[in-house]
Amino acid sequence: MLAADTPLPSLDTPPAGTPRLAGDLAIWIFILAELLAFGAFFAAYAFTRAHHIELFTHEQQALNRITGAINTMLLLTSSYFVVRAVQAAERSAPAPCARWLVAAIACGVGFIVIKLHEYSAAFERGVTLSSSPFHMFYLSLTFFHFMHVLLGLVILSALWLGARAGRYRPNDMNGLESGAAYWHMVDLVWLVLFPLVYVIH
Amino acid sequence: MSGIFTKAMARNIFYGGTVFFFLLFLALTFNTTRELPQRDNRAKLTPAVAAGKKLWETNNCIGCHTLLGEGAYFAPELGNVYKRRGPEFIKAWIKAQPTGVPGRRQMPQFHFSDADLDNLVEFLKYSSEINTSNWPPNIEG
Amino acid sequence: MQYKTQAVAKPYFIAAIGLFVGQILFGLIMGLQYVIGDFLFPAIPFNIARMVHTNLLIVWLLFGFMGSAYYLVPEESETELFSPKLALVMFWIFLVAGALTVVGYLALPYATLAKLTGNDLLATMGREFLEQPLITKVGIVVVALAFLFNITMTVLKGRKTAISMVLLLGLWGLAVFFLFSFYNPDNLVLDKFYWWWVVHLWVEGVWELILGALLAFVLIKVTGVDREVIEKWLYVIITLTLVTGVIGTGHHYYWIGTPEYWQWWGSVFSALEPIPFFAMTVFAFNMVSRRRREHPNRAATLWALGTGVMSFLGAGLWGFLHTLAPVNYYTHGTQITAAHGHMAFYGAYVMVVLCMISYAMPILRGRAANSDKAQVVEMWGFWLMTVAIVFITLFLTGAGILQVWLQRISATPLSYMATQDQIMVFYWLREWTGVMFLIGLVVYIASFFIGGDKKAATA
Repeated sequence: MLAADTPLPSLDTPPAGTPRLAGDLAIWIFILAELLAFGAFFAAYAFTRAHHIELFTHEQQALNRITGAINTMLLLTSSYFVVRAVQAAERSAPAPCARWLVAAIACGVGFIVIKLHEYSAAFERGVTLSSSPFHMFYLSLTFFHFMHVLLGLVILSALWLGARAGRYRPNDMNGLESGAAYWHMVDLVWLVLFPLVYVIH
Repeated sequence: MSGIFTKAMARNIFYGGTVFFFLLFLALTFNTTRELPQRDNRAKLTPAVAAGKKLWETNNCIGCHTLLGEGAYFAPELGNVYKRRGPEFIKAWIKAQPTGVPGRRQMPQFHFSDADLDNLVEFLKYSSEINTSNWPPNIEG
Repeated sequence: MQYKTQAVAKPYFIAAIGLFVGQILFGLIMGLQYVIGDFLFPAIPFNIARMVHTNLLIVWLLFGFMGSAYYLVPEESETELFSPKLALVMFWIFLVAGALTVVGYLALPYATLAKLTGNDLLATMGREFLEQPLITKVGIVVVALAFLFNITMTVLKGRKTAISMVLLLGLWGLAVFFLFSFYNPDNLVLDKFYWWWVVHLWVEGVWELILGALLAFVLIKVTGVDREVIEKWLYVIITLTLVTGVIGTGHHYYWIGTPEYWQWWGSVFSALEPIPFFAMTVFAFNMVSRRRREHPNRAATLWALGTGVMSFLGAGLWGFLHTLAPVNYYTHGTQITAAHGHMAFYGAYVMVVLCMISYAMPILRGRAANSDKAQVVEMWGFWLMTVAIVFITLFLTGAGILQVWLQRISATPLSYMATQDQIMVFYWLREWTGVMFLIGLVVYIASFFIGGDKKAATA
């Protein structure tokens, strides 16, 4: 081609001293898209609830708020562990980093186990996606989130392998920070979902 | 605010995100498959209905009409025509085509036997009893 | 051209444009049948004209995709095509099979065609867009597999770029999802459910990967922006596409007998479908404004920008207009859907294929770009066709809004045909705009035959 290749300054390496976005821009765009999907679903929930307040309040009573609260604690704790893992990597301490990640994964697995227990109880009560508007939202929102926890666990496991291989260093935190940001998003969504679907009436 | 934006990360998110959402879609498909028997009127799926569906297809009815809102938009919706017109009208109408009224849309003559017509009507009856969440909004389709 | 086997793209592009002309002519016939109901009856009934119109569209876009792949993949992979001979053989097989199918549609009653072509062995015919006889469907699979083999082998022996991987994924997806066209259960709901796995997962799924890859390729070429930058944005955009589009299939599952939760899932995800299209528009304009070279082929740049804008308007905006279940309850199966279909197909797929042709064809003919004179004529074609499709869409939207009101909302609903009589004026306007589109197409084709000073033959 007829090229007049005058190199422009690359837009991809940040000049020093400006505030830095932790993690890859690509993961933030993905997180934003996910939050939009959850946000739209939450809005749909609020809209439908306004039309069926009694039904929603009544069927909400059947949900187990104790296990929901335990799950909230588990996710919050695991988010904390992930923060510690990132801090460990920033100190160039791969072994503690990997251990914190294992702890975070354990909490995530705990969430999954409790959630499966909750689902089996719900299915026994005859809850399906079509049994009522509340059940539709309860199952859709929690299952959509449940899938995200599973994906998050896959990502944390990949981070754990990376940490064990000593891949994350103070000057190369991109992978770890991106995965961590995703896990915090999964946690954040639950922090909205839990009160919205289980508690507020 | 500045940050890192790498192709490797974008690629991994693409593959991961695609697999994730496709699995979610498969999960919903699985659930739909389990719930369909309550909605799709399969109890009434007789050999006559199957024969009618085949006539519907081999005469390309969808090329002018819609069925449950899908198809061409050149001629009336037929998902609820059984309820709108009734079996006898449908058969008489098909037999009387084309009307030949100048300037009006024409439906071809398909030379159906009486058995064919019965099968088509059975298919349209079965279609009209599928649970479509109250669509269309009124009987006009 | 950098690799001599890229030349096999040329017949594909020529056939694509030829079939495009056929598609538009049959579109005009249908448009006229909307207002003069018995036009060409019984020689060409509406359903036959429509089948030819939509099938030609699909086939010429497939020709366009295949030609684009044959042009793009050697250059991306930095190696000659695995087998140019196979590509040419498949070209003729596909063209002859396509032509015979159209002749079959026009010469025989559809039921006779079905009987002659083995529809009794496996009934697949007579479903919208999948009207092709069984043997044609099998032929499509054979041609697609040979094509994919050829392209995949080329990529495997050469450089693997993000663009060629995304293109390959899109093309494989196209072939895989087409297999659902062979599944046609007696159960109408199941039939429709999986019918969308071809139709929706094509146009709002894997085809968008092809679209993204072709657009990214042309943008790299005409702007000279770093491949690294363009490719990572390509990944981001197609991620957004599939995140929203796959579950977005649910917007077809509102009223066909599928469970009601699809109204929520479909609404939520398809409401987000405009985002990737918007991102694509921003991406195209951004890359062009950050360009590091002034490529002599300005027409190709115009097509690239046009694809960005028109796919956002047609697929994104006009899709969003009627995608929410409470709205779709009233608009489902009306001219609103037709309006959306026309602008979306033109904006996304017609334009990206023409963009690729606009970029590649001059190089295939031994020059970097056409003469200024030819480019000006091509741009006239661009504007005539694009403005025409915008107005076709607007008129059909007007027709659709009135149709919904008269037939479905008003307190005294009119029958279907009585409603049609009321909205005739919109159909007349649409037909005349269709004539404008045809003029645009003729001007576009004329641009290929205009000489003048060619740009240097470096490519």
